[in-house]
Amino acid sequence: MLSGESLFMLDLVATFAPYMIITLSLNLEYGFGGVPNFGKTLAVAGGAFMVGYLPGRILAGIMGVGQGMDYVAQNAQIITEINNRLVFNVPLSLGILLITLVAVILFGAFLGLLVTVPVVRLRADYLAMTFLAAGEVILVIGNNYPPLVGGTLGIGVPDPFGWASTFSVLGLSPGEMRNVTVTLFMAITAIIIFLYAQKLTHSPLGRVLRAIRDDENSALALGKDVTSNRLKVIIFASAIAAIGGALYAFYTANVISTAYSRVSWTFWPWVMVMLGGAANNLGVVCGTFIFVAVRKLIIFYKDIFGPFIPFDVVWLDMLLLGAALVFILLYKPEGLLPEKPIKTIKIEGPPPPKREAPEETSSSQAPSKKKVGLKLPFKFKVRKK
Amino acid sequence: MSQPVLNTVNIRKTFGGVVALDSVDINVDKGSMTMLIGPNGSGKTTLINVISGFYKPDRGQVTFEGRDITGQPPNKVSAYGLVRTFQIPSPFVKLSVLENLLIASKGNPGESFLKAPLKMTWHKKESEIYDRAFRVLDLLNLKLWDQPAGVLSGGQLKLLEIGRALMTGAKMIMMDEPAAGLNPVLAHKVFAHICDIKQRLGITFLIIEHRLDIALQYVDYVYAMALGTVISHGTGEEVMNDPKVIEGYLGGTCA
Repeated sequence: MLSGESLFMLDLVATFAPYMIITLSLNLEYGFGGVPNFGKTLAVAGGAFMVGYLPGRILAGIMGVGQGMDYVAQNAQIITEINNRLVFNVPLSLGILLITLVAVILFGAFLGLLVTVPVVRLRADYLAMTFLAAGEVILVIGNNYPPLVGGTLGIGVPDPFGWASTFSVLGLSPGEMRNVTVTLFMAITAIIIFLYAQKLTHSPLGRVLRAIRDDENSALALGKDVTSNRLKVIIFASAIAAIGGALYAFYTANVISTAYSRVSWTFWPWVMVMLGGAANNLGVVCGTFIFVAVRKLIIFYKDIFGPFIPFDVVWLDMLLLGAALVFILLYKPEGLLPEKPIKTIKIEGPPPPKREAPEETSSSQAPSKKKVGLKLPFKFKVRKK
Repeated sequence: MSQPVLNTVNIRKTFGGVVALDSVDINVDKGSMTMLIGPNGSGKTTLINVISGFYKPDRGQVTFEGRDITGQPPNKVSAYGLVRTFQIPSPFVKLSVLENLLIASKGNPGESFLKAPLKMTWHKKESEIYDRAFRVLDLLNLKLWDQPAGVLSGGQLKLLEIGRALMTGAKMIMMDEPAAGLNPVLAHKVFAHICDIKQRLGITFLIIEHRLDIALQYVDYVYAMALGTVISHGTGEEVMNDPKVIEGYLGGTCA
């Protein structure tokens, strides 16, 4: 059995990992590409809805479960039956996990494309508005079209990690085994995505994206295809964000469309990115961790705060986070770890590399630097004269 | 003389009721330095915007190296080797000076989304580009290569603009007031650099400039514009002595 602290840590990592994936994708779009995506919910919910829609129906078909039953109305019954069989079938579990994730990636990319294509040629402001609207549209559909993910009642998701509960290591209970396994899987996925994001951005491509962000017309004049790069960065980021939503849905083992609100999955990721530092992947990961940890700590220790504040503790984290955002924007708008001036794309050139030819200039440079150091007192003296 | 590398035929561009360009025909010879002069609002920048693809002309044709580039998007025009700079220097402020140059190079495989994470696919090309960028920095005498471009002075930004254009491997560079806002010494330096580059690399230049005292000695051919049309063209001396130019631009000196 896990202690309270261990459970807290497990819960922290399980929340942190999907958020880290989502904020990294937002950083790719906003920090590097300069696309103000105010509809992060779209891709996140898209990924989660795919998890609610696809694997259960596939498995029900394969196993012949729930024939003649309504998949949504009698969902609890069908999912229980599927899970009972899935526990003993590790290859099928992993197979369905993999297939679902591939579908999620494709669906996320498709959603990004769908929303962006009509407005990609317009200024970034219009993209922001379109994303904001699109994020709402998918929630309206999720809430009001039960065949998708059961509307406001939600829908169960088959558990591709059920098999973990049949093992027992370190004296963990079956339920804990399952949770530890899912959390580990999410953490590893998040780390892989972090490494991918680092590779993707510490490259000539990262440079092009930052350039387009800084000055669109200059980038055009230098032959960079602004439209196509912007479209692609949104597609990639949406695909990544969808993975975050999907993992969260697998972890909670159900999908309720009301859980994918714009506050949780658009605004919070924005605060995390602002806090950590846009266009700095490591900073964004730090920002995400701090944000998630503070929220979890407030909830974990709410009994301690409770007597001292004149309102319900649930409002405390909202107040604190709102205040934190204001303070960041006022006093440290570039975030905790600001964008670095030079992303050492290649280790090729430490200071001036390969400057054999202009030897004289570099040698004349060195003394001139010394002169600058000596000049200051000199100049003052001259002025005194 | 040599064949024109760029020519425009009968270009017309209007903004609402304002006719910014009307039947503009210009020819720029290969390897020359051609200058566009004219009073404010005469359509010089508009013409560059039309040629570089930022504006689509209402009528007329732009040909670069025998290829019709009328109405092509700016990035395409740039890819053909016809690169422009801006009147107000527009560096990528958060990128370092070096990165500003690196980005201008063309055909870097690392700029593709699929290849970017795979360093071995672009490592070689990238190191070539680094070498070239350092050579350009030397050529322009820019020393602050690792600083964000935002910290450069006005003159250095002008040089950086030229450097970026050079890094694209351009065959022809169109510059909008390269010496605007510079003191005469620095302005001469910028023009000397441009001349030097023109002779060494055989690049054609089309330059807008108001400061005739500085620029005239460097240029081969001059087009004078007024109210959206070309009013005179020829060598510097010919244009300067054209009564229409004196009246329209230099101010009537003859009584």
